[in-house]
Amino acid sequence: MLGVDWQVVRAVFAKDIKAVSRSKAIVIPMIAVPGFLLLIVPILLGFSARGVDSATVGEFTASIPGLGDLAEPLLARPPEAQIYYLLFQYLLAPLFVIVPLMVAAVLAADTFAGEKERKTLEALLHLPVRERELFLAKLLTTLVPAVLISWTTFVGYAIIANVISWPKVGKLVVPNGPWLLLIFWVGPGVIAFGLGLIVRISARARSSQEANQLGGAVILPLIFMVMGQATTLLLLPPSVMFGFGVVMWVASIALFRAAGRRFTRDRLATNV
Amino acid sequence: MTLPFDGPAVQLQSVSRSFNGRPAIVDMSFEINRGEVVALLGPNGSGKTTTVRILTGVVKPDAGSARVLGLDCATDGEDVRHRVGVMTENSGLDDRLTAFENISTHGYIRKMPRDIVDKRTNELLERFGLADRGRDRVGGFSTGQRKRVALARALLHEPDILLLDEPTSGLDPEATRDVLDLIANLASEHGRTVLFCTHFLYEAGRVCQRMVMLRYGEVLAFGAPAEIAASLGRNNLIKVRVAPQINLDLDKPILAKSIRNLDGVVAMQSTKGAVEIAATTDEVVPAVIAAFVADDVAIYSVASEPPSMEDVYFALSERHGGSADAWS
Repeated sequence: MLGVDWQVVRAVFAKDIKAVSRSKAIVIPMIAVPGFLLLIVPILLGFSARGVDSATVGEFTASIPGLGDLAEPLLARPPEAQIYYLLFQYLLAPLFVIVPLMVAAVLAADTFAGEKERKTLEALLHLPVRERELFLAKLLTTLVPAVLISWTTFVGYAIIANVISWPKVGKLVVPNGPWLLLIFWVGPGVIAFGLGLIVRISARARSSQEANQLGGAVILPLIFMVMGQATTLLLLPPSVMFGFGVVMWVASIALFRAAGRRFTRDRLATNV
Repeated sequence: MTLPFDGPAVQLQSVSRSFNGRPAIVDMSFEINRGEVVALLGPNGSGKTTTVRILTGVVKPDAGSARVLGLDCATDGEDVRHRVGVMTENSGLDDRLTAFENISTHGYIRKMPRDIVDKRTNELLERFGLADRGRDRVGGFSTGQRKRVALARALLHEPDILLLDEPTSGLDPEATRDVLDLIANLASEHGRTVLFCTHFLYEAGRVCQRMVMLRYGEVLAFGAPAEIAASLGRNNLIKVRVAPQINLDLDKPILAKSIRNLDGVVAMQSTKGAVEIAATTDEVVPAVIAAFVADDVAIYSVASEPPSMEDVYFALSERHGGSADAWS
Protein backbone atom coordinates (compact mmCIF):
# COMPACT_ATOMS: atom_id res chain seq x y z
CA MET A 1 0.00 0.00 0.00
CA LEU A 2 1.24 3.45 -0.92
CA GLY A 3 2.96 5.30 1.91
CA VAL A 4 2.88 2.47 4.42
CA ASP A 5 6.03 1.11 6.01
CA TRP A 6 5.18 -2.52 6.66
CA GLN A 7 8.13 -2.99 9.01
CA VAL A 8 6.58 -0.39 11.31
CA VAL A 9 3.10 -1.91 10.92
CA ARG A 10 4.50 -5.35 11.79
CA ALA A 11 6.28 -3.99 14.86
CA VAL A 12 3.13 -2.32 16.23
CA PHE A 13 1.04 -5.39 15.31
CA ALA A 14 3.52 -7.71 17.08
CA LYS A 15 3.44 -5.54 20.20
CA ASP A 16 -0.35 -5.47 20.30
CA ILE A 17 -0.74 -9.19 19.65
CA LYS A 18 1.78 -9.97 22.38
CA ALA A 19 -0.10 -7.76 24.83
CA VAL A 20 -3.51 -9.18 23.88
CA SER A 21 -2.27 -12.75 24.11
CA ARG A 22 -1.34 -12.12 27.76
CA SER A 23 -4.76 -10.85 28.77
CA LYS A 24 -6.78 -13.68 30.29
CA ALA A 25 -9.91 -11.54 30.04
CA ILE A 26 -9.52 -11.61 26.27
CA VAL A 27 -7.83 -14.94 25.56
CA ILE A 28 -10.22 -17.14 27.56
CA PRO A 29 -13.40 -15.91 25.80
CA MET A 30 -11.52 -15.96 22.48
CA ILE A 31 -10.85 -19.67 22.91
CA ALA A 32 -13.87 -20.75 24.93
CA VAL A 33 -16.67 -19.16 22.90
CA PRO A 34 -15.51 -20.36 19.44
CA GLY A 35 -14.51 -23.70 20.95
CA PHE A 36 -17.98 -24.22 22.41
CA LEU A 37 -20.12 -22.81 19.62
CA LEU A 38 -18.12 -24.04 16.63
CA LEU A 39 -16.82 -27.37 17.91
CA ILE A 40 -18.79 -28.61 20.93
CA VAL A 41 -22.25 -27.55 19.72
CA PRO A 42 -21.79 -29.27 16.30
CA ILE A 43 -20.79 -32.47 18.12
CA LEU A 44 -23.86 -32.33 20.35
CA LEU A 45 -26.21 -31.47 17.51
CA GLY A 46 -24.58 -34.03 15.23
CA PHE A 47 -25.21 -36.86 17.65
CA SER A 48 -28.73 -35.58 18.40
CA ALA A 49 -29.48 -35.60 14.67
CA ARG A 50 -29.25 -39.39 14.47
CA GLY A 51 -32.73 -40.71 13.93
CA VAL A 52 -34.18 -37.51 12.52
CA ASP A 53 -35.99 -38.54 9.35
CA SER A 54 -36.32 -36.76 6.00
CA ALA A 55 -39.94 -35.85 6.71
CA THR A 56 -38.83 -33.68 9.59
CA VAL A 57 -36.27 -32.02 7.32
CA GLY A 58 -38.98 -31.38 4.75
CA GLU A 59 -41.28 -29.88 7.38
CA PHE A 60 -38.45 -27.70 8.64
CA THR A 61 -37.53 -26.32 5.21
CA ALA A 62 -41.19 -25.76 4.39
CA SER A 63 -41.55 -23.68 7.56
CA ILE A 64 -38.90 -21.18 6.43
CA PRO A 65 -40.73 -18.38 4.62
CA GLY A 66 -39.45 -17.55 1.15
CA LEU A 67 -37.12 -20.53 0.94
CA GLY A 68 -39.18 -22.14 -1.83
CA ASP A 69 -37.17 -23.81 -4.56
CA LEU A 70 -33.90 -23.03 -2.87
CA ALA A 71 -34.40 -26.06 -0.62
CA GLU A 72 -34.57 -28.43 -3.58
CA PRO A 73 -30.88 -29.38 -3.68
CA LEU A 74 -31.11 -30.33 -0.01
CA LEU A 75 -34.29 -32.34 -0.41
CA ALA A 76 -32.80 -34.15 -3.40
CA ARG A 77 -30.21 -35.78 -1.10
CA PRO A 78 -30.77 -39.35 0.12
CA PRO A 79 -33.35 -39.27 2.94
CA GLU A 80 -30.98 -40.59 5.66
CA ALA A 81 -28.35 -37.95 4.74
CA GLN A 82 -30.64 -34.90 4.56
CA ILE A 83 -30.45 -34.02 8.25
CA TYR A 84 -26.64 -33.99 8.15
CA TYR A 85 -26.57 -31.77 5.09
CA LEU A 86 -29.12 -29.46 6.70
CA LEU A 87 -27.20 -29.27 9.95
CA PHE A 88 -23.59 -29.15 8.82
CA GLN A 89 -23.92 -27.41 5.47
CA TYR A 90 -26.59 -24.83 6.30
CA LEU A 91 -27.83 -24.35 9.86
CA LEU A 92 -24.48 -23.89 11.59
CA ALA A 93 -22.97 -21.75 8.86
CA PRO A 94 -23.94 -18.36 10.38
CA LEU A 95 -21.89 -19.16 13.48
CA PHE A 96 -18.71 -18.99 11.42
CA VAL A 97 -19.39 -15.34 10.78
CA ILE A 98 -21.06 -14.40 14.07
CA VAL A 99 -18.43 -15.83 16.41
CA PRO A 100 -15.41 -14.21 14.69
CA LEU A 101 -17.42 -10.98 14.56
CA MET A 102 -17.81 -11.12 18.34
CA VAL A 103 -14.11 -11.87 18.73
CA ALA A 104 -13.29 -8.87 16.51
CA ALA A 105 -15.54 -6.64 18.62
CA VAL A 106 -13.75 -7.65 21.85
CA LEU A 107 -10.33 -7.16 20.27
CA ALA A 108 -11.31 -3.81 18.76
CA ALA A 109 -12.42 -2.54 22.16
CA ASP A 110 -9.08 -3.54 23.68
CA THR A 111 -6.92 -2.36 20.82
CA PHE A 112 -8.48 1.03 20.13
CA ALA A 113 -10.22 2.22 23.31
CA GLY A 114 -8.21 0.00 25.68
CA GLU A 115 -5.00 1.69 24.61
CA LYS A 116 -6.47 5.05 25.62
CA GLU A 117 -7.74 3.58 28.87
CA ARG A 118 -4.33 2.13 29.77
CA LYS A 119 -2.70 5.44 28.80
CA THR A 120 -0.29 3.66 26.50
CA LEU A 121 -1.45 5.43 23.36
CA GLU A 122 0.34 8.71 23.92
CA ALA A 123 3.76 7.05 24.06
CA LEU A 124 3.02 5.59 20.61
CA LEU A 125 1.97 8.98 19.26
CA HIS A 126 5.41 10.38 20.11
CA LEU A 127 7.08 7.72 17.93
CA PRO A 128 7.95 8.17 14.25
CA VAL A 129 4.92 6.16 13.13
CA ARG A 130 2.54 7.50 10.51
CA GLU A 131 -1.08 7.64 11.58
CA ARG A 132 -2.11 5.30 8.75
CA GLU A 133 0.50 2.75 9.90
CA LEU A 134 -0.78 2.89 13.44
CA PHE A 135 -4.37 2.58 12.26
CA LEU A 136 -3.55 -0.30 9.93
CA ALA A 137 -1.65 -2.15 12.66
CA LYS A 138 -4.61 -1.77 15.01
CA LEU A 139 -7.03 -3.03 12.35
CA LEU A 140 -4.85 -6.05 11.67
CA THR A 141 -4.55 -6.78 15.40
CA THR A 142 -8.32 -7.09 15.43
CA LEU A 143 -9.00 -8.64 12.05
CA VAL A 144 -6.24 -11.25 11.80
CA PRO A 145 -7.01 -13.18 15.03
CA ALA A 146 -10.74 -13.10 14.28
CA VAL A 147 -10.24 -14.50 10.79
CA LEU A 148 -7.67 -17.04 11.97
CA ILE A 149 -10.11 -18.26 14.62
CA SER A 150 -12.74 -18.64 11.91
CA TRP A 151 -10.36 -20.64 9.71
CA THR A 152 -8.88 -22.89 12.39
CA THR A 153 -12.22 -23.73 13.94
CA PHE A 154 -13.54 -24.45 10.46
CA VAL A 155 -10.88 -27.14 10.04
CA GLY A 156 -12.00 -28.69 13.32
CA TYR A 157 -15.65 -28.28 12.36
CA ALA A 158 -15.11 -29.99 9.00
CA ILE A 159 -13.44 -32.97 10.71
CA ILE A 160 -16.24 -33.23 13.28
CA ALA A 161 -19.01 -32.87 10.68
CA ASN A 162 -17.55 -35.51 8.38
CA VAL A 163 -16.74 -37.98 11.15
CA ILE A 164 -20.29 -37.76 12.52
CA SER A 165 -22.08 -37.83 9.16
CA TRP A 166 -19.85 -40.33 7.32
CA PRO A 167 -21.72 -43.50 8.43
CA LYS A 168 -24.97 -42.19 6.90
CA VAL A 169 -23.69 -39.95 4.09
CA GLY A 170 -20.61 -41.85 2.94
CA LYS A 171 -18.86 -38.77 1.56
CA LEU A 172 -17.60 -35.35 2.69
CA VAL A 173 -20.36 -32.94 3.73
CA VAL A 174 -18.04 -29.96 4.19
CA PRO A 175 -16.15 -28.19 2.75
CA ASN A 176 -17.83 -27.55 -0.53
CA GLY A 177 -17.60 -24.55 -2.88
CA PRO A 178 -20.11 -22.31 -1.09
CA TRP A 179 -18.50 -23.05 2.27
CA LEU A 180 -15.05 -22.13 1.00
CA LEU A 181 -16.51 -18.90 -0.35
CA LEU A 182 -18.16 -18.26 3.01
CA ILE A 183 -15.08 -18.94 5.10
CA PHE A 184 -12.43 -17.32 2.93
CA TRP A 185 -14.32 -14.47 1.26
CA VAL A 186 -17.73 -13.52 2.65
CA GLY A 187 -16.95 -14.23 6.31
CA PRO A 188 -13.82 -12.07 6.49
CA GLY A 189 -15.72 -9.40 4.55
CA VAL A 190 -18.56 -9.35 7.09
CA ILE A 191 -16.04 -9.32 9.97
CA ALA A 192 -14.22 -6.40 8.33
CA PHE A 193 -17.52 -4.59 7.81
CA GLY A 194 -18.47 -5.07 11.47
CA LEU A 195 -15.02 -3.92 12.52
CA GLY A 196 -15.33 -0.83 10.34
CA LEU A 197 -18.62 0.05 12.02
CA ILE A 198 -17.19 -0.52 15.49
CA VAL A 199 -14.07 1.55 14.84
CA ARG A 200 -16.10 4.34 13.27
CA ILE A 201 -18.67 4.47 16.06
CA SER A 202 -16.51 3.78 19.09
CA ALA A 203 -13.74 6.21 18.10
CA ARG A 204 -14.62 8.53 20.96
CA ALA A 205 -14.96 5.82 23.60
CA ARG A 206 -12.63 6.45 26.50
CA SER A 207 -12.63 2.95 27.94
CA SER A 208 -12.79 -0.58 26.60
CA GLN A 209 -16.03 -1.06 28.54
CA GLU A 210 -17.61 1.91 26.78
CA ALA A 211 -16.25 0.64 23.46
CA ASN A 212 -17.67 -2.83 24.18
CA GLN A 213 -21.08 -1.34 24.80
CA LEU A 214 -20.97 0.75 21.65
CA GLY A 215 -19.53 -2.22 19.73
CA GLY A 216 -22.31 -4.45 21.02
CA ALA A 217 -24.93 -1.98 19.83
CA VAL A 218 -23.37 -2.10 16.38
CA ILE A 219 -22.70 -5.82 16.25
CA LEU A 220 -26.08 -7.10 17.41
CA PRO A 221 -28.07 -5.93 14.36
CA LEU A 222 -25.31 -7.28 12.15
CA ILE A 223 -25.48 -10.63 13.94
CA PHE A 224 -29.23 -10.81 13.36
CA MET A 225 -28.68 -9.98 9.71
CA VAL A 226 -26.05 -12.71 9.38
CA MET A 227 -28.25 -15.24 11.20
CA GLY A 228 -31.06 -14.51 8.80
CA GLN A 229 -29.08 -14.48 5.60
CA ALA A 230 -26.01 -16.72 5.86
CA THR A 231 -27.94 -19.97 5.40
CA THR A 232 -29.85 -18.53 2.46
CA LEU A 233 -26.58 -17.34 0.95
CA LEU A 234 -25.28 -20.89 0.94
CA LEU A 235 -28.33 -21.96 -1.01
CA LEU A 236 -27.93 -19.21 -3.60
CA PRO A 237 -25.67 -19.49 -6.64
CA PRO A 238 -21.97 -18.93 -5.78
CA SER A 239 -21.87 -15.80 -7.97
CA VAL A 240 -24.45 -14.13 -5.69
CA MET A 241 -22.44 -15.11 -2.67
CA PHE A 242 -19.26 -13.78 -4.22
CA GLY A 243 -21.05 -10.53 -5.06
CA PHE A 244 -22.25 -10.20 -1.47
CA GLY A 245 -18.64 -10.60 -0.36
CA VAL A 246 -17.58 -7.84 -2.75
CA VAL A 247 -20.24 -5.54 -1.30
CA MET A 248 -19.04 -6.27 2.23
CA TRP A 249 -15.38 -5.62 1.37
CA VAL A 250 -16.13 -2.41 -0.51
CA ALA A 251 -18.28 -1.16 2.37
CA SER A 252 -15.55 -2.16 4.85
CA ILE A 253 -12.88 -0.27 2.94
CA ALA A 254 -15.13 2.81 2.79
CA LEU A 255 -15.68 2.59 6.55
CA PHE A 256 -11.96 2.09 7.22
CA ARG A 257 -11.12 5.11 5.09
CA ALA A 258 -13.67 7.23 6.93
CA ALA A 259 -12.42 6.05 10.32
CA GLY A 260 -8.80 6.46 9.21
CA ARG A 261 -9.38 10.11 8.32
CA ARG A 262 -10.40 10.76 11.91
CA PHE A 263 -7.50 8.73 13.29
CA THR A 264 -5.16 11.70 13.65
CA ARG A 265 -2.60 12.39 16.34
CA ASP A 266 -4.29 15.64 17.23
CA ARG A 267 -7.67 13.97 17.79
CA LEU A 268 -6.19 10.98 19.58
CA ALA A 269 -3.99 13.06 21.88
CA THR A 270 -6.72 15.46 22.86
CA ASN A 271 -9.08 12.54 23.49
CA VAL A 272 -6.54 10.51 25.50
CA MET B 1 21.31 10.72 11.49
CA THR B 2 22.62 14.17 12.39
CA LEU B 3 21.40 17.24 10.65
CA PRO B 4 23.88 20.08 10.09
CA PHE B 5 22.11 22.63 12.24
CA ASP B 6 23.74 25.07 14.62
CA GLY B 7 20.69 26.95 15.86
CA PRO B 8 18.79 26.42 19.08
CA ALA B 9 17.72 22.88 19.89
CA VAL B 10 14.17 24.02 20.59
CA GLN B 11 12.52 27.20 19.46
CA LEU B 12 8.95 28.33 20.04
CA GLN B 13 7.74 31.57 18.54
CA SER B 14 4.38 33.01 19.55
CA VAL B 15 2.78 29.56 19.77
CA SER B 16 -0.88 29.40 20.74
CA ARG B 17 -3.24 26.45 20.96
CA SER B 18 -6.80 26.14 22.20
CA PHE B 19 -8.98 23.12 22.86
CA ASN B 20 -12.72 23.61 22.40
CA GLY B 21 -12.26 27.35 22.65
CA ARG B 22 -10.24 27.16 25.85
CA PRO B 23 -6.68 28.42 25.46
CA ALA B 24 -4.09 25.86 26.56
CA ILE B 25 -1.07 27.84 25.38
CA VAL B 26 -1.05 31.57 24.71
CA ASP B 27 1.63 33.30 22.63
CA MET B 28 4.41 31.12 24.02
CA SER B 29 7.99 31.91 23.00
CA PHE B 30 11.29 30.55 24.26
CA GLU B 31 14.47 28.91 23.00
CA ILE B 32 16.60 26.11 24.39
CA ASN B 33 20.26 25.80 23.49
CA ARG B 34 21.93 22.49 22.78
CA GLY B 35 23.06 20.61 25.87
CA GLU B 36 20.92 22.76 28.12
CA VAL B 37 18.54 21.52 30.79
CA VAL B 38 15.45 23.70 30.91
CA ALA B 39 12.52 23.26 33.24
CA LEU B 40 9.00 23.94 32.09
CA LEU B 41 7.62 24.94 35.42
CA GLY B 42 3.99 25.48 36.23
CA PRO B 43 1.00 24.12 38.07
CA ASN B 44 -1.36 21.52 36.62
CA GLY B 45 -3.19 22.86 33.59
CA SER B 46 -0.56 25.44 32.79
CA GLY B 47 0.19 23.99 29.34
CA LYS B 48 3.27 21.86 29.99
CA THR B 49 1.96 18.65 28.36
CA THR B 50 0.50 20.58 25.43
CA THR B 51 3.91 22.16 24.89
CA VAL B 52 5.54 18.71 24.74
CA ARG B 53 2.86 17.51 22.31
CA ILE B 54 3.42 20.53 20.08
CA LEU B 55 7.18 19.92 20.11
CA THR B 56 6.76 16.36 18.80
CA GLY B 57 4.10 17.34 16.27
CA VAL B 58 1.43 15.35 18.06
CA VAL B 59 -0.77 18.44 18.21
CA LYS B 60 -0.40 21.40 15.91
CA PRO B 61 -0.35 25.00 17.04
CA ASP B 62 -3.24 27.26 16.04
CA ALA B 63 -0.71 30.07 15.59
CA GLY B 64 3.03 30.56 15.76
CA SER B 65 5.79 28.10 15.00
CA ALA B 66 7.60 25.41 16.94
CA ARG B 67 10.96 24.10 15.77
CA VAL B 68 13.18 21.30 17.02
CA LEU B 69 16.72 21.22 15.64
CA GLY B 70 15.50 23.53 12.89
CA LEU B 71 12.68 21.18 11.87
CA ASP B 72 9.13 22.49 11.84
CA CYS B 73 7.23 20.37 14.34
CA ALA B 74 3.92 20.81 12.54
CA THR B 75 5.13 19.76 9.08
CA ASP B 76 8.22 17.62 9.83
CA GLY B 77 6.74 15.78 12.79
CA GLU B 78 8.06 12.39 11.76
CA ASP B 79 11.65 13.65 11.46
CA VAL B 80 11.32 15.43 14.80
CA ARG B 81 10.05 12.25 16.45
CA HIS B 82 13.13 10.40 15.17
CA ARG B 83 15.37 12.88 17.00
CA VAL B 84 13.44 13.23 20.22
CA GLY B 85 12.86 10.91 23.16
CA VAL B 86 9.71 11.47 25.18
CA MET B 87 8.75 10.28 28.61
CA THR B 88 5.05 10.86 29.13
CA GLU B 89 3.58 11.88 32.45
CA ASN B 90 2.05 8.49 33.24
CA SER B 91 5.03 6.51 31.83
CA GLY B 92 2.78 4.93 29.18
CA LEU B 93 3.94 1.38 29.85
CA ASP B 94 1.85 -1.64 28.93
CA ASP B 95 1.36 -3.66 32.11
CA ARG B 96 1.07 -6.86 30.08
CA LEU B 97 4.56 -6.54 28.67
CA THR B 98 7.86 -7.03 30.46
CA ALA B 99 10.27 -4.17 31.13
CA PHE B 100 12.47 -5.49 28.33
CA GLU B 101 9.53 -5.67 25.92
CA ASN B 102 8.22 -2.22 26.84
CA ILE B 103 11.60 -0.74 25.96
CA SER B 104 12.56 -2.90 22.99
CA THR B 105 9.23 -2.68 21.13
CA HIS B 106 9.77 1.06 20.73
CA GLY B 107 13.13 0.27 19.16
CA TYR B 108 11.55 -2.14 16.70
CA ILE B 109 8.88 0.42 15.86
CA ARG B 110 11.69 2.93 15.28
CA LYS B 111 13.16 0.38 12.82
CA MET B 112 16.39 0.01 14.78
CA PRO B 113 18.23 -3.28 14.05
CA ARG B 114 16.98 -5.99 16.37
CA ASP B 115 20.41 -6.94 17.73
CA ILE B 116 21.19 -3.31 18.59
CA VAL B 117 17.79 -2.84 20.22
CA ASP B 118 18.26 -5.93 22.38
CA LYS B 119 21.80 -4.94 23.36
CA ARG B 120 20.85 -1.33 24.17
CA THR B 121 17.78 -2.45 26.11
CA ASN B 122 19.88 -4.71 28.30
CA GLU B 123 22.44 -1.94 28.82
CA LEU B 124 19.75 0.54 29.82
CA LEU B 125 18.10 -1.92 32.19
CA GLU B 126 21.50 -2.45 33.78
CA ARG B 127 22.19 1.27 33.98
CA PHE B 128 18.82 2.02 35.57
CA GLY B 129 19.21 -0.75 38.14
CA LEU B 130 16.57 -3.02 36.60
CA ALA B 131 18.74 -5.76 35.10
CA ASP B 132 17.16 -8.39 37.35
CA ARG B 133 13.60 -7.21 36.56
CA GLY B 134 13.90 -7.06 32.77
CA ARG B 135 11.86 -10.23 32.22
CA ASP B 136 9.13 -9.24 34.69
CA ARG B 137 5.88 -7.68 33.54
CA VAL B 138 5.76 -4.03 34.55
CA GLY B 139 2.27 -4.45 36.00
CA GLY B 140 3.95 -5.37 39.28
CA PHE B 141 6.46 -2.52 39.27
CA SER B 142 6.54 0.40 41.70
CA THR B 143 6.00 3.92 40.37
CA GLY B 144 9.72 4.58 40.63
CA GLN B 145 10.59 1.47 38.65
CA ARG B 146 8.02 2.37 36.00
CA LYS B 147 9.50 5.84 35.67
CA ARG B 148 12.94 4.33 35.20
CA VAL B 149 11.68 1.95 32.51
CA ALA B 150 9.98 4.87 30.75
CA LEU B 151 13.15 6.96 30.95
CA ALA B 152 15.20 4.06 29.60
CA ARG B 153 12.73 3.73 26.73
CA ALA B 154 13.02 7.43 25.93
CA LEU B 155 16.80 6.99 25.71
CA LEU B 156 16.83 3.81 23.63
CA HIS B 157 17.52 5.50 20.29
CA GLU B 158 20.03 7.94 21.83
CA PRO B 159 17.99 11.02 21.04
CA ASP B 160 19.47 14.50 20.77
CA ILE B 161 16.64 15.93 22.80
CA LEU B 162 14.72 14.54 25.73
CA LEU B 163 11.26 15.78 26.63
CA LEU B 164 10.34 14.60 30.10
CA ASP B 165 6.80 15.24 31.28
CA GLU B 166 6.60 15.19 35.07
CA PRO B 167 9.27 12.50 35.45
CA THR B 168 9.09 12.55 39.24
CA SER B 169 5.35 12.74 39.85
CA GLY B 170 4.21 10.07 42.26
CA LEU B 171 7.73 9.23 43.41
CA ASP B 172 8.97 9.08 46.97
CA PRO B 173 11.82 11.44 47.92
CA GLU B 174 14.55 8.84 47.38
CA ALA B 175 13.27 7.82 43.96
CA THR B 176 12.84 11.51 43.08
CA ARG B 177 16.47 12.16 43.93
CA ASP B 178 17.57 9.18 41.80
CA VAL B 179 15.58 10.37 38.79
CA LEU B 180 16.85 13.95 39.17
CA ASP B 181 20.42 12.68 39.36
CA LEU B 182 19.83 10.65 36.21
CA ILE B 183 18.49 13.70 34.40
CA ALA B 184 21.42 15.83 35.52
CA ASN B 185 23.83 13.14 34.28
CA LEU B 186 22.12 12.88 30.91
CA ALA B 187 22.89 16.50 30.23
CA SER B 188 26.32 16.78 31.83
CA GLU B 189 27.80 13.47 30.61
CA HIS B 190 26.07 13.06 27.30
CA GLY B 191 25.42 16.65 26.24
CA ARG B 192 21.73 16.03 25.68
CA THR B 193 19.22 18.81 25.60
CA VAL B 194 16.56 18.20 28.20
CA LEU B 195 13.19 19.89 28.54
CA PHE B 196 11.85 18.83 31.85
CA CYS B 197 8.22 19.55 32.84
CA THR B 198 7.52 19.78 36.50
CA HIS B 199 5.27 21.48 38.96
CA PHE B 200 7.81 21.02 41.74
CA LEU B 201 9.68 24.26 42.25
CA TYR B 202 12.53 22.62 44.12
CA GLU B 203 13.24 20.17 41.30
CA ALA B 204 13.39 22.90 38.71
CA GLY B 205 15.86 24.81 40.80
CA ARG B 206 18.00 21.76 41.40
CA VAL B 207 18.35 20.41 37.88
CA CYS B 208 17.80 23.13 35.32
CA GLN B 209 20.04 25.88 34.01
CA ARG B 210 17.12 27.95 32.81
CA MET B 211 13.42 27.70 33.30
CA VAL B 212 10.19 28.68 31.66
CA MET B 213 7.61 29.64 34.23
CA LEU B 214 4.06 29.03 33.04
CA ARG B 215 0.67 29.96 34.33
CA TYR B 216 -2.62 29.35 32.48
CA GLY B 217 -0.65 28.69 29.28
CA GLU B 218 1.26 31.95 29.41
CA VAL B 219 4.99 32.37 29.94
CA LEU B 220 5.47 34.38 33.12
CA ALA B 221 9.25 34.39 32.87
CA PHE B 222 12.10 32.68 31.07
CA GLY B 223 15.74 32.61 32.06
CA ALA B 224 18.20 31.42 34.67
CA PRO B 225 16.65 31.34 38.12
CA ALA B 226 19.03 34.04 39.38
CA GLU B 227 18.28 36.27 36.39
CA ILE B 228 14.57 35.94 36.91
CA ALA B 229 15.00 36.60 40.60
CA ALA B 230 17.13 39.68 39.91
CA SER B 231 14.54 41.00 37.47
CA LEU B 232 11.97 40.70 40.22
CA GLY B 233 14.16 42.38 42.80
CA ARG B 234 14.66 39.07 44.64
CA ASN B 235 18.14 38.95 46.17
CA ASN B 236 20.85 36.40 46.70
CA LEU B 237 21.72 35.75 50.31
CA ILE B 238 25.44 35.65 51.06
CA LYS B 239 26.21 34.07 54.41
CA VAL B 240 29.65 34.71 55.91
CA ARG B 241 30.83 32.88 59.03
CA VAL B 242 33.50 34.66 61.05
CA ALA B 243 35.10 34.13 64.46
CA PRO B 244 32.38 33.43 67.05
CA GLN B 245 33.20 36.45 69.22
CA ILE B 246 32.93 39.01 66.40
CA ASN B 247 29.78 41.01 65.73
CA LEU B 248 30.64 43.03 62.64
CA ASP B 249 28.40 46.03 63.36
CA LEU B 250 29.69 46.37 66.93
CA ASP B 251 33.30 45.33 66.56
CA LYS B 252 34.09 46.44 62.98
CA PRO B 253 31.68 49.28 62.15
CA ILE B 254 33.90 50.72 59.38
CA LEU B 255 34.15 47.36 57.65
CA ALA B 256 30.37 46.92 58.03
CA LYS B 257 29.78 50.30 56.46
CA SER B 258 32.15 49.59 53.55
CA ILE B 259 30.37 46.30 52.82
CA ARG B 260 26.98 48.02 52.85
CA ASN B 261 28.38 50.50 50.34
CA LEU B 262 29.54 47.83 47.87
CA ASP B 263 27.79 47.85 44.48
CA GLY B 264 25.07 45.21 44.43
CA VAL B 265 24.69 44.96 48.20
CA VAL B 266 21.13 45.72 49.21
CA ALA B 267 21.26 45.06 52.96
CA MET B 268 23.40 43.51 55.63
CA GLN B 269 22.84 42.30 59.15
CA SER B 270 25.28 40.82 61.60
CA THR B 271 25.15 38.67 64.70
CA LYS B 272 28.00 37.15 66.70
CA GLY B 273 30.02 34.96 64.35
CA ALA B 274 27.77 35.51 61.30
CA VAL B 275 27.03 38.10 58.65
CA GLU B 276 24.15 37.89 56.17
CA ILE B 277 24.31 40.06 53.08
CA ALA B 278 21.42 40.52 50.64
CA ALA B 279 22.82 41.22 47.19
CA THR B 280 21.37 41.53 43.71
CA THR B 281 24.09 39.20 42.41
CA ASP B 282 26.66 36.82 43.83
CA GLU B 283 29.29 38.71 41.86
CA VAL B 284 29.81 40.82 45.01
CA VAL B 285 31.27 37.82 46.86
CA PRO B 286 34.94 38.50 45.86
CA ALA B 287 34.63 42.14 46.96
CA VAL B 288 33.10 41.06 50.27
CA ILE B 289 35.92 38.59 50.91
CA ALA B 290 38.52 41.19 49.93
CA ALA B 291 37.03 43.67 52.41
CA PHE B 292 37.15 41.13 55.26
CA VAL B 293 40.74 40.16 54.40
CA ALA B 294 41.83 43.80 54.20
CA ASP B 295 40.52 44.34 57.75
CA ASP B 296 42.19 41.15 59.04
CA VAL B 297 38.85 39.48 59.85
CA ALA B 298 39.21 35.73 59.52
CA ILE B 299 36.56 34.14 57.31
CA TYR B 300 35.51 30.62 58.32
CA SER B 301 33.11 30.09 55.41
CA VAL B 302 31.17 31.89 52.70
CA ALA B 303 27.98 30.62 51.08
CA SER B 304 25.83 32.30 48.46
CA GLU B 305 22.23 31.18 48.20
CA PRO B 306 20.09 32.20 45.25
CA PRO B 307 16.49 33.10 46.02
CA SER B 308 14.31 30.03 46.30
CA MET B 309 12.10 28.97 43.43
CA GLU B 310 9.11 29.51 45.68
CA ASP B 311 10.14 33.14 46.21
CA VAL B 312 10.52 33.66 42.51
CA TYR B 313 7.34 31.91 41.39
CA PHE B 314 5.08 33.53 43.90
CA ALA B 315 6.59 36.93 43.24
CA LEU B 316 5.87 36.38 39.55
CA SER B 317 2.34 35.24 40.29
CA GLU B 318 1.71 38.32 42.39
CA ARG B 319 3.11 40.54 39.68
CA HIS B 320 0.68 38.97 37.19
CA GLY B 321 -2.25 39.37 39.52
CA GLY B 322 -2.44 35.70 40.50
CA SER B 323 -2.18 33.75 43.68
CA ALA B 324 -0.73 30.48 44.89
CA ASP B 325 -4.09 28.86 44.15
CA ALA B 326 -2.98 28.26 40.59
CA TRP B 327 -0.48 25.75 41.93
CA SER B 328 -3.01 23.42 43.47
